[in-house]
Amino acid sequence: MSQIVTIAKEEWRYWLRSRLVKIGLIVFALLLILTSALTASRVSEIRHDREHQQEKAEQSFREQPDRHPHRMVHYGHYAFRAPTPLAQFDPGVDAVTGQSIFLEGHRQNSAMFAEARGNARAGGFGSLTPALIYQLFLPLLLIAIAHAAIVREREAKTLVPLMSQGVNGPALYLGKGLAILALIMGLSLPALFGSSLAITQGESALTALSLYGSYCLYLAIWGSLILTVSCLVRSRGIALGLMLLVWIFSALVVPRIAVTWASYSLPSEGKIITSMRMNEDLRKLGDGHNAADPAFAKFRSNILAQYDVDSVDELPVNFRGLVAQQSEAELTATLNKYSEKRMSRELEQSTRLDRFGMISPYVAIGTASRSLAGTDLSTHHRFLRETEDLRFNFIQDLNKVHIKKLSYADDMARNKDEEAGKRARVSSENWQILQDFRFQPDTASTRFNRAAASLLSLLIWLLVILFIGLFTSRKLQP
Amino acid sequence: MTAIDVKDLKVERSGKAVLHGIRFSVQVGEVFALLGGNGAGKSTTLLTLLGFLPVAAGSVSLNGISPSANVKKIRDQVAYLPEAATLYPHLNAYENLGYFLSLSKLKLSKAELDATLEKVDLQTDARSQKMETYSKGMRQKVSIALALLRDTPILLLDEPTSGLDPVAIDEFNRLVRSLAAEGRTILMVTHDVYGACQVADRIGLLRGGELVGLFGSNEGQKIDTQTVHKAFTERTGAKRAVS
Ligand SMILES: Nc1ncnc2c1ncn2[C@@H]1O[C@H](COP(=O)(O)OP(=O)(O)O)[C@@H](O)[C@H]1O
Ligand SMILES: [Mg+2]
Repeated sequence: MSQIVTIAKEEWRYWLRSRLVKIGLIVFALLLILTSALTASRVSEIRHDREHQQEKAEQSFREQPDRHPHRMVHYGHYAFRAPTPLAQFDPGVDAVTGQSIFLEGHRQNSAMFAEARGNARAGGFGSLTPALIYQLFLPLLLIAIAHAAIVREREAKTLVPLMSQGVNGPALYLGKGLAILALIMGLSLPALFGSSLAITQGESALTALSLYGSYCLYLAIWGSLILTVSCLVRSRGIALGLMLLVWIFSALVVPRIAVTWASYSLPSEGKIITSMRMNEDLRKLGDGHNAADPAFAKFRSNILAQYDVDSVDELPVNFRGLVAQQSEAELTATLNKYSEKRMSRELEQSTRLDRFGMISPYVAIGTASRSLAGTDLSTHHRFLRETEDLRFNFIQDLNKVHIKKLSYADDMARNKDEEAGKRARVSSENWQILQDFRFQPDTASTRFNRAAASLLSLLIWLLVILFIGLFTSRKLQP
Repeated sequence: MTAIDVKDLKVERSGKAVLHGIRFSVQVGEVFALLGGNGAGKSTTLLTLLGFLPVAAGSVSLNGISPSANVKKIRDQVAYLPEAATLYPHLNAYENLGYFLSLSKLKLSKAELDATLEKVDLQTDARSQKMETYSKGMRQKVSIALALLRDTPILLLDEPTSGLDPVAIDEFNRLVRSLAAEGRTILMVTHDVYGACQVADRIGLLRGGELVGLFGSNEGQKIDTQTVHKAFTERTGAKRAVS
C-alpha cells in the first residue's frame, strides 16, 4: 500500500517538474473556470429573465380590456421554460431546441429561442459548455499527461531498478493509477463546485452529486484505459497514437455513425411531406370561424336535436362559440396525432443513439449527463405537451365564455350594427381563466432512472478496463 | 554455505537459447566474478537470478529460494545494479535514492545517504543537482550507492565499474572487499580481466552461453591475471578462428 502511494507521489513530482504538464493544467483550469462562470451567469440570467417574462405574459393577458372572447383566442399567450440549475453545467438539448413558445388558437407553434444576445455576449464561448470540456477535451489532457506513465519507465530503463526494489506490475499500475485518479479529482473540482452551486439553487443532491460522480467515472475510464495502453505498448509514441485513435473513434466516429444509423434505421417520409399531409387532414375539418361551413352540418343538427329547437337562433347558448369549441377540439386532436408521432419518432431515434453508449463512453456520458441535468429530449417533450395542455385549456375556456356569456344575435350582428358590436364583448374579468404556468423539472429519481442505463454501462467500462489493466500489469517485465 | 546456486541453467531469449546449461555456485561472503565478452550471457544470468527471465531448464536459487517460487522474497534479499543503470534524470541524487529506497520500505536520513555517497566518492556539490547533469560515471556511482544502501545479504552487480575512472575503480574494489568481509555475497559480471582478478575470490569464464573455465579458490590466494587473460583471449580468439 505504502509502495502504491509512494509511486503516486513520485508521478505527481514528475508532472509538476514538467513544463508541458504545468502549462496544460493551467490552461485547462482557466478554461474550466471561465466556461463554468460564463455558463453559470448566462443560465442564471436566462432563468431569471424567463420567470420574469412568464409573469409579464400572464399579467398582460389578464389585463386585456373587455373584448370579444375570440379576439383573446388570437391574442394568444407565451409559455417559457426556465433552465434547471444543472443546465449551467450541461445545457443539453436546450442549445438546439427552443425554450419559449407562442400559444394561440387553431395552431401549435414550434418552440423558439428566446434570446440571441446571451450567445453573442459570450463570444466563442457561447457553445463551449463545462460539459463539453469534460466530455471532449479533458480526455485529451489526460492522454497528453498520462500516456507515458508506464511506458516512459520502460523506455528510460527505470523499470529494472523499480522492479528490483520489489515493485511488481500491479503495484506500479495501481500507483500510477492513484496519481491519475488524484489528477481527475482535481480536474473535476469545477464540476463539484457547479453541482454544489446547483444544490444551493434548489437542485436535488441526488442528481447534482450523481452528475459530478458520473463525470468522475467517465474520466476514470479514460485514465484506466490510458494506463492500460501505457502498460501494454513498447514506446510512448505508440501509446500516444493509440490513445488518440481511441479518442477519435469514441468522440468523433462513433457519434457520427450513431446519428447516421439512427436515421437510416428509422426511415421517415421527410418534414415537407408530413407537413403537407397534416395540412390536408386539417383542411378536411372545416373552418371554425364559419358556423355555416358545411363541415359542421352534422354537428349543427346534433346540437339542435340535443336542445330540441328548430334553429340556432333559438339555442340558449351561442352557436358560434359551440362551433369554435368543436372545431378547436377536432383540430387539436389532429395536431396532437402528428406531434405525438413526431415526438415518439425523435425519442426512438435518440434511444437508438444512446445505445451506442455501449461502445463509446463519450456517448454514454452525454446521455447520462443530459438526463441528470434535466436537459434531455424527454424533458423538452414534456414541456411541449404541458404547453399544449395549457394552450388547449385556455382556448377552450375562452370558447366556453363565448358560448355562455355572449348572445348569438349580437355576435352575428357585430359587424353590421355598431350597438350590437359594442354588446358583443365580455368583461375582462373573464381573462382570469388563464392558468399560471411554471415548468417543473422531473423529480430527481425520474432523472436518475433515465440515466441509470448509461451510468451502468460507464461502470462496466471502468471495471472491464481495470480488470484487463491489472491482469496485463501482472505480466509486466522490463 | 551456498548463497547462490546455479545448476545446469538454460535460458532462452526471443526463442533463441542464450545460456546452454551453466553450473556454478557462490558461497556466503564470497566475491564471484562472471567474466565474459559482449553477448556471452552475463546479464542474462543475473536477470534470471532476479526472476526477470524464466528458467528454460535447470535451476537457480538464492539462499535456497528459487525466483519462480517467491520472486518478492528474492528481490527483498538481493540488491541489483543493472547494466548501464539509469535513475530519474529529473531528480537529484538524494531524491532518487530516497524514492527507490522508500519503495523497499527504507527511510534513511540525509546523513546516511551522504555517508554512502561519500563511500562511492560522488562530489558533494553534485548531489543536489538533477541527475540529467551527471556524467556516466557519476550516474553509475549513485546506482552503486543505491545497491549498497539496500543493505542486503546478496549483491548482483552488472558491470559495476563501467564508466568509472581508475581511481574510482580502485575505490570501488576496496569497497567490494570490505562488503565481503562483512559477510555479504557478491556476484558481479564484467569484461574487465584485471578488475575481476583484483577483486574476486573466484572467476567463472563465460563464453557463448557456456561456462568454459573456473579460476581461483576460497583459500584466499590471488588469481593470476596472466592465466585468466590468456584463457579469456585465447578461447575468445579460438572461437573467432572457428567461426
Ligand atoms: N532482450 C533480448 N532479447 C533477445 N535476445 C537478447 C536480449 N538481450 C540479449 N539478448 C541476446 O542474449 C545473448 C546474451 O546477452 P547478454 O546476456 O546481454 O550478454 P552480456 O551481458 O554477456 O553482454 C546475446 O546473444 C544477445 O544477443
Ligand atoms: Mg551485459
